[in-house]
Amino acid sequence: MDKKKQAYVCTGCGIGDALDIEALTGMISSEMSVDCKSHAALCSKDGRAFIEADIKDGVNTITIGACSLRVMQDEFDFGEDKIVTRANLREQCAWCQGEDADAEYVQELGSDNMRMAVVKADKQDLPEPYQLEKITKDILVMGGGIAGLTAAKEAAKAGYAVTLVEKAAALGGKALGWRKQFPTKAPWTDLQEPTIADMVHSVESDANITVKTETEVARIAGAPGVYKVTFKAAGTASEWDAPAKVAVDEQDAIDKGDVEDPNAGKNPYMQENPEAVDFGGVVLATGWKPADVSEYEHLGYGTLKNVVTNAEFEKLAKAGKVPAKVAFVQSPGGKDDDKDFPYCNSVTSMVALKQAKYVREDNPDGQAFILYQHMRTPGHMEMFYKGIQDDDGIFLTKAAVTKVEESDAGLTVSMQDTLLNDDVSLDVDMVVLAAGMIPTTKDEATINLAYRQGPAFLDLDLFEGYADSHFICFPYETRRTGVYACGGVRKAANMEETIDDATGAALKAIQCIESVDHGVAVHPRSGDKTFPEFFFQRCTQCKRCTEECPFGALDDDEKGTPLPNPTRCRRCGTCMGACPERIIGFKDYNIDMIGSMIKAIEVPDDDEDKLRILALVCENDAYPALDMAGMRRNKINNLVRVIPVRCLGSVNMVWIKDAMSSGMDGVILLGCKYGDDYQCHFVKGSEIASKRMENIGETLGTLGLEPERCATRQVAITDYDKIPDIINEFVEEIIELGPNPFKGF
Amino acid sequence: MQINPDLNFIKYLKGAGGDTLKKCYQCATCSVVCPLSGDNKPFPRKEMIWAQWGLKDKLVADPDVFLCHQCGDCTAYCPRGAKPADVLGAIRAYAYTHYGFPSGLAKLTTSAKNLPLLIGIPAAIILILWYISGGMHLPAGEIDFGHFFGHWDFKYLAKTTMFIDIIMLPTVGLALFSAYKGVSTMWGKMCEGANADPVWRPSCGKFMRDFLWPSVKEIISHDRFNECGANKDRARGHKPLMLAFIGLLIVTTYSFILKDFIGIVVPSLHGPLSLWDPFKILANVSAIALIYGIYILWTNRSNEESESGKKGTFYDWFLIYEIAVVGITGILSELTRLAGLPVLAYFFYFCHLVSIMMLFLYMPYSKFAHLVYRTFAMAFERYRDSGFIAGKSEA
Repeated sequence: MDKKKQAYVCTGCGIGDALDIEALTGMISSEMSVDCKSHAALCSKDGRAFIEADIKDGVNTITIGACSLRVMQDEFDFGEDKIVTRANLREQCAWCQGEDADAEYVQELGSDNMRMAVVKADKQDLPEPYQLEKITKDILVMGGGIAGLTAAKEAAKAGYAVTLVEKAAALGGKALGWRKQFPTKAPWTDLQEPTIADMVHSVESDANITVKTETEVARIAGAPGVYKVTFKAAGTASEWDAPAKVAVDEQDAIDKGDVEDPNAGKNPYMQENPEAVDFGGVVLATGWKPADVSEYEHLGYGTLKNVVTNAEFEKLAKAGKVPAKVAFVQSPGGKDDDKDFPYCNSVTSMVALKQAKYVREDNPDGQAFILYQHMRTPGHMEMFYKGIQDDDGIFLTKAAVTKVEESDAGLTVSMQDTLLNDDVSLDVDMVVLAAGMIPTTKDEATINLAYRQGPAFLDLDLFEGYADSHFICFPYETRRTGVYACGGVRKAANMEETIDDATGAALKAIQCIESVDHGVAVHPRSGDKTFPEFFFQRCTQCKRCTEECPFGALDDDEKGTPLPNPTRCRRCGTCMGACPERIIGFKDYNIDMIGSMIKAIEVPDDDEDKLRILALVCENDAYPALDMAGMRRNKINNLVRVIPVRCLGSVNMVWIKDAMSSGMDGVILLGCKYGDDYQCHFVKGSEIASKRMENIGETLGTLGLEPERCATRQVAITDYDKIPDIINEFVEEIIELGPNPFKGF
Repeated sequence: MQINPDLNFIKYLKGAGGDTLKKCYQCATCSVVCPLSGDNKPFPRKEMIWAQWGLKDKLVADPDVFLCHQCGDCTAYCPRGAKPADVLGAIRAYAYTHYGFPSGLAKLTTSAKNLPLLIGIPAAIILILWYISGGMHLPAGEIDFGHFFGHWDFKYLAKTTMFIDIIMLPTVGLALFSAYKGVSTMWGKMCEGANADPVWRPSCGKFMRDFLWPSVKEIISHDRFNECGANKDRARGHKPLMLAFIGLLIVTTYSFILKDFIGIVVPSLHGPLSLWDPFKILANVSAIALIYGIYILWTNRSNEESESGKKGTFYDWFLIYEIAVVGITGILSELTRLAGLPVLAYFFYFCHLVSIMMLFLYMPYSKFAHLVYRTFAMAFERYRDSGFIAGKSEA
């Protein structure tokens, strides 16, 4: 586009008091060759009209020096055909300087912020959305239990054609075996007759839903909007089964014949099956399997008659009468461990309450003992708990069950640390163990993707086999865009939770398909029109981008040249940060743009006090935290120059070199937490960045620069009170090190 | 400990005012607010789960159950509406029946359905004896209850006194025996529960001096009542009522000694006491205190019930009615006697005798039994904390 540029400085909100506006606009107009005007309140109606008047005269590239880019986004939106960049003169300049701040230093900070914003406008282009030639909007639902039935029904209701795949001969899943189900309506106290038959019927009679029973998914190739799915008969092997990922050293062992090829007889992942069916999005609802509890020898499962799991007890109860005296053991740990059986969440607590009621229903003098370490009955289920507790023949106590053994009376359960203030033993007819619900994704790929990064979701070793990428912030999303998980693969959940979950996943799949149709990112950068573009002539097939992409968006050809799938992409820029050839970039976010912004920072080479420190700040959490620090008028050292980045994963190490070679004295990266309780919106970005920074530290060392000049810090969005100290302490360290010795060269 | 819940016990408690007991979810708020609860005995949290589990043997041997005087703090703070105070009341009601001897009579006292029998038996006994005595006619001249059962000239024992003795002495004897039997069984159970070694026992004198007497002093001073928050008004009624009973006990003992022993040598002592006799004054003051006390307790309970919308239990109301009737008939018979209304005076006096007999007869099984059980539980509490037990269990 032919750019006609104009810059503005707002003098409102204290900016006019902190800065010499005339000097600032004069500097931009002369030094940057972009005309710069000021206004008392650009966000006001009058201020907008002030800008629109220039737009009428042909201005299409606008730089606004005012508040943070995180606020006033509607006020400064002048249409899709305009480029707008913002310089943060308020939160991160006027508001974070104390009254004692040196006016000269503050002016330099404001000037640099303006310079960077003007360069940013200069170095970017208007985005053009990525459009698929042909898109399929049909939705594939895997699994015909409560989750799958709900997802299929909800998607069909919204007008999408759905194919529901079920391994078993009939739809319904685990719910088919239930005698009663938890209450779903007020007063939430009484068990209800199962509704699964109605759900199955409503799906089977829905014209928008195609049901495939006794069928499995062999592989899912392609990307959102253009999935190519191969089905096979349940329990059979197929040449189209998704190949396992084989690492380079494993491939060597296979080639030597030391190891059997796991992919023997399977077609390569990039090979296209002409008979595959097209889909736009996938809902994964393959559910759970009852856990095996025979490892807890003291409980006697598998060795003692009448010690059963909750799943087996449900079967008994469905088939007929249950025994009169039954103990429900909720936790296996014996005396020293109060953990419940794994994979139980709150469900097994409620199942025990339900099954205790069967004991009472079937036996006039029935006695049910619930021996728990935790009784979890969230939400309305508290009413259910109260109702069950009110039954004279249902007895509850916290207890550490130490032994189940055979006795004359049947079985004797011994326990310690009870609420009864005694070590207690009970004679019962049957013992029911609260076995958990193992997600089907724990031991198998399940989703069977034909992706370069392998057939399964990448396992972070954090979620114990559950399919999950970010449980709290982005539920239903997996680390594979277009695949949305719900029900038992996501967590052990009851029916109501599962129905909510499945509805959410169906809506998320629809959102993805529609976003793909519009050529924009689905999440977390919803609506982003840009996507990474590759300058393949310079690609060296180093495979860093294909390996590091947290979402498996990049496949490759035999040579290793990446094959982008823009509809799988989340636009984090991790590939851009990884690329040593710097051939990956977005229209409004690329290596040259950030590099030029860094170079636009004025570095005085003759003043030992005026150090310059670059802060590359993640715009998801750290940047808002910085803004909040400014809103609270926390002082931030004015030697620091802040550039927001999409994710620390997108930070290319060339920027660090740019900064150091332009004479800046230190670089700090502020990003999200990583590790066990990671908060990175792109899962791996901040972790990858910190690894890259370790390596660059070594490189700096070889150049004779102190590695401490580069640092990475983890910041949460709530750390607005800590972030000034984090930055100011880093600046103190740099001051201690002294100026960059290469300054001025 | 082998556990075997008793579902009938749970049903009993639910019927006897403890209908909320299953609501407890063991949060122990009650134990935090209860002044009786110690660091190692979360009272009444553990009693609540014992009740839920139908563990009656543990509960009837638990001194804390009897120490509770239902101040109601636990009920006021309970987040689940489990009303521990009411449940403990029901447990005590059960315990009195459980320890009661003879058990048939004890069971009879548990239900309003048996009221015709409960009133009928004493009424019939007195009516029959009244008939046999030949005193069943209106007196000529001044009304003298000393001639209620007639009069004879045998100067060593007045006829009426003898009949009163025939009625009351076996009644009191049975009550005392039953209370003794019950308390000693309870004591044994409590010792078992506290792992007391029966070889080491205090002497009778030491027992009275160190354990029983301090408990009685504490009861009279109402120290524990005053620790209560939620239900302070109860002490306002209970204290005058208890003092009235002590006063009446003194008067009765005095007149028993006067008429049955001193009267043998000084026949002129037969006949009503002068209104200005110090003992008569004590009797009248006590009667007024009794009426006042029972009025307070009556209104407290009915207010409480109308607030909570909960129906009262026979166990609670039976004692209130009994005491009220004793007080009212006593006062009315005295007033009608002084007013010279013989028909009414005799009628009220008859009712008075019946109600007193009921009070004595049912004492060990009704709520009145707290008189002995609580006193001994308090003594046991001191015993438990004394060197006889406390030191040993640590060793």
